Amino acid sequence: MVVSVRSWVANEGGKHLVLMLWLAANTWLFLKTFLLYSTGQQYHYLYKMLGPGLCISRASASVLNLNCSLVLLPMCRSLLTFVRGSHTVSSRKTRRLLDKSKTFHVACGVAICIFSVVHVSAHLVNVINFSVSYSDDFPALNLARYRGEVRHTHIPGVTGVLLVLILFLMFTSSSYCVRVSNYEIFWYTHNLFIVFYIILMVHMVGGALKYQTNIEAHPPGCLRANQSGAEQLGEELEQGEDEERRCREEAHFQPHYPQTWLWVSGPLCLYCAERFYRYIRSCDPVTIVTVIRHPCDVIELRMLKKNFKARPGQYIVLNCPGVSSFENHPFTLTTCPTENKETFGIHLRVVGDWTGGGKYKYMCVCLSGFSANRLVYFCQRCVFRLYVDGPFGSPSEEVFNYDVSLCVAGGIGVTPFACVLHALLDGWKGFRLQRLYFVWVCRELQSFYWFAELLCAVHHKLWQENRPDYFNLKLFISQTDNLQEKYRPLTSRLLVGRPRWKLLLDEIAKTNNNKRVGVFCCGPKGISRTLHRLCNSARSSGTTFEFNKESFS
Amino acid sequence: MGKIEWAMWANEQALASGLILLTGGIVGVAGQFRGWQFAAYAVAAGVFVCLLEYPRSKRSKGTSVERTGQYCFTVCVKSFGPLTRNYYVRAFLHAAICVPGGFMLATVLGCVCLGIASIIYFVAAIRGEHWEPILPRKESRMPVAESIKNPPQNPPPRPPAETRRKRVDDLEDAAYDNPISVTDN
Repeated sequence: MVVSVRSWVANEGGKHLVLMLWLAANTWLFLKTFLLYSTGQQYHYLYKMLGPGLCISRASASVLNLNCSLVLLPMCRSLLTFVRGSHTVSSRKTRRLLDKSKTFHVACGVAICIFSVVHVSAHLVNVINFSVSYSDDFPALNLARYRGEVRHTHIPGVTGVLLVLILFLMFTSSSYCVRVSNYEIFWYTHNLFIVFYIILMVHMVGGALKYQTNIEAHPPGCLRANQSGAEQLGEELEQGEDEERRCREEAHFQPHYPQTWLWVSGPLCLYCAERFYRYIRSCDPVTIVTVIRHPCDVIELRMLKKNFKARPGQYIVLNCPGVSSFENHPFTLTTCPTENKETFGIHLRVVGDWTGGGKYKYMCVCLSGFSANRLVYFCQRCVFRLYVDGPFGSPSEEVFNYDVSLCVAGGIGVTPFACVLHALLDGWKGFRLQRLYFVWVCRELQSFYWFAELLCAVHHKLWQENRPDYFNLKLFISQTDNLQEKYRPLTSRLLVGRPRWKLLLDEIAKTNNNKRVGVFCCGPKGISRTLHRLCNSARSSGTTFEFNKESFS
Repeated sequence: MGKIEWAMWANEQALASGLILLTGGIVGVAGQFRGWQFAAYAVAAGVFVCLLEYPRSKRSKGTSVERTGQYCFTVCVKSFGPLTRNYYVRAFLHAAICVPGGFMLATVLGCVCLGIASIIYFVAAIRGEHWEPILPRKESRMPVAESIKNPPQNPPPRPPAETRRKRVDDLEDAAYDNPISVTDN
């Protein structure tokens, strides 16, 4: 498949630009600090003692400072939702960059791990050099207390080991496998970040590396009182020059003050404020208005909360204290509150049955929308008290900002688009969107009943209002069954087998020449990868497909 | 909390510890630290731990994702039978391997990390988990759908002959005559 430059720039350009800027910032910081320590006058004696290990360790430390401060920013979800929604950032390109906030967080995290390894290795070499090149000329400069001592029981050493251990725990539990199978391990270890940052800020107390404070009075390399110019190079020096090169003072050394707090405190305060704000916002418990059972083990929860406003495509985070005080699970909203109706709803997939007996019945609920494998036990009776945090923004909010949109849903991934369809049902005229293509791929026929009524209602409404071409629906299943009679609009649009994406995109491209079509995919990785590749490929009709993915954990 | 598979986390940790041990050992040997023999041991131990931990185990419930190219490692590790299947053996093995790393500054981190991984493996073993190889499954061919083999016997239904006949006397009206009514389905 030939990649078209225009499509590639439209889809990948922004992301890669940000990546280049970030890499450039890291490289510049590394080189600047390296050169400072290798050529700076105030580090002359230290550099002579420790060699390049000093420069590498300090340069990697400054890169670590930068990344530790940047890593928190993409996780300020309320702030990002506000930026996305308020249209203060008016360009759609910039809003699409916000979709990649988690990727940026991961990139900074990986950089932290890599540079930690570099930093620790360089400091190990420094410790050895401190012991081997013990300086008798400048005893204040030494870390070791006597020649040959390998000293590691000082504050930077001990805090460094603790930091690496916490980073190790956080990193090993954040791999894709562990997140998908045991989200709790990931969540609890990742919340150790606060301990990490506190220890990081005291890491440099009692600094081991010192700089020289009196460079004018004692230029590095000057002659000491007990040396004479004639020893140097055996040349005849004039009296005046000899005087000039003599040190007026002994060298004074001072350790650096910890500087990490300058980098880190801003984003850390911002993130803590955000978490506090989210906690306050989610303090009101929600009232559950209805629970509706759907086929294929799906239940719909309709809830009511004061001052809750959401846009189509956003998601909320649910917390059930009867189950666990600290666990929060995200769900995409399937119904948003409007002026007429204040309830909002989510769809949950239920695994297992109501078990247990007596007063409390327990139900295993397998969560839909974000990660299909996380389990939450719900207590049926009194502790159906839920706390809702959010709403948070997601890429699917942009459906209404294109002229033509294609929404591709795989199975339960239809939930963000259900909200979009509800919004269309309320009033489709006010949006920029002129045409919506909707492709829903399911394994079983029964899954379509989750939103069959909604789809038919939208279809009928648009037919009555004389816009039959606004909503183009295609349903795909892999089994050969027939839908019920009352869903006739769906039966005639039901196709057996997997969709052929290339033909579908070609058909859409032919009917929408020279337009920008927004492609929104919420489904398994196979579908999203194929669609992404097709969106980047060349097209003769001049249509550009902009790919937006709703990610599953 | 549900059923957490501790072994999966322990596997990630052990692999990472192996790499940390390896890196620490390389630094120790390259810098010719005092006690560099421990560093040389750490290099060998790190490589061994990485090779042992690279193949992921099959999950008891749910889909297992293998690491790239892990099939040959799976075959090697499987051939040791109960020694590699049992997580008690792994826990004690890792605990034993990590001890010599604690004698040298460069490898002490690898030692501590491997120790943590060994503890988690112990917890996994107590909960009765064991290592299962992920072997490729033979794909069964999907049976061809029945509808292909039975083409329709009758032609599609058509309206009766009177409505089908061409209305030559009234050509203008005939152009817009639909024999079947239009509905919104």
